[in-house]
Amino acid sequence: MTEIKINQILDLKNTPCPINFVKTKLKLEEMSKGEVLEVLLDDGEPIINVSSSVKEEGHQILKVEQIKNYWKLIVKKA
Amino acid sequence: MKNKKINLDLNELRKGGILKQLQKDYFILRTRIPGGYLKSDMLPKFRQIAKKYGKDYVHLSTRQAIEIPWIHIRDLEKLIKELKRLGISRGACGPRSRNIVACPGSSVCRFGFTNVEKLATEFDRKFFGQDVPKKFKIALTGCPNSCAKPQENDIGFMAVGEPECDSTKCTSCNLCAKVCEKVCARGGREPAIIMDENKKPVYRREYCFFEGDCIRVCPASAWRVKRTGYTVFVGGKVGRFPKLGYKIKEFASEEEIFKIADKCIKRYNQIAEPGERFGESIEKIGIEELKRQIL
Repeated sequence: MTEIKINQILDLKNTPCPINFVKTKLKLEEMSKGEVLEVLLDDGEPIINVSSSVKEEGHQILKVEQIKNYWKLIVKKA
Repeated sequence: MKNKKINLDLNELRKGGILKQLQKDYFILRTRIPGGYLKSDMLPKFRQIAKKYGKDYVHLSTRQAIEIPWIHIRDLEKLIKELKRLGISRGACGPRSRNIVACPGSSVCRFGFTNVEKLATEFDRKFFGQDVPKKFKIALTGCPNSCAKPQENDIGFMAVGEPECDSTKCTSCNLCAKVCEKVCARGGREPAIIMDENKKPVYRREYCFFEGDCIRVCPASAWRVKRTGYTVFVGGKVGRFPKLGYKIKEFASEEEIFKIADKCIKRYNQIAEPGERFGESIEKIGIEELKRQIL
């Protein structure tokens, strides 16, 4: 788990719910199974809602990490 | 109009579901739709009734059933026969237990802990239309969001889920503690989940609202439902003198809630004066006394 190869990055800071989730979902749809997406999300509702929703869609969350006032969510496409 | 023969079986009318409307000689038909769950092939039948006997519209009642107004007194007998033929059940009015109210539950809702649809059907079979001193309303809701408002009913059951954490799966992301802190702050409590010095969650059950936010948010699926149950509220009502129900049990099993509902209806019949709601009778005897009698 130390080195995760990131295929795509999506910066969704300042993107409100539920747009942030929709953008994450659309991005994941473009990607191939097993590829990894890094999403940057605001603190508060965005990180909570997007992680729950991504998990519900069946993707695997590899890492969740707080960086100052935002969060990094690393998702492996199912 | 006087010489027009109106052929009505009054006993049939007393079975309920026919309410006198403001306008002379007109009635409202109230139907029975447990939890508001209705097979779509029933809808044309309601349409048929509304067109033929009413004014081609229906009203959705606050207890999730369909009401059809503007039924003329001379059509009542025919209507009752037609309802039977179509398989539309009449609702309750007067001193009887009412249509069961329920939320969507776990079959479709992301928050639901239990299958409320199934439960509503079973509750309807056991508790609908029973004779009581005034009225008796039952609500079933699948989680603490309380969409079906169990606290406003004579008896309400709210599904709850106790979480547990498999710390070997935990990645120390802190999201569970974060959502928990938020929920508990809104509810005026200390957080039920705090992180220890190794950045692993510590669960403090006494502060938990059993809403399951930690389970939904956990990226590693370390949090899961340990058990589900029902929080029981009794004596709630709205009306002219609103009052929220008393919480009498935090975690009752599905088997227990049928017994509790049954005992409540029996006790209500014993302790209430005619015209008195369950909550008012509970005030007279005291909630602790009721708990002693029914739990």
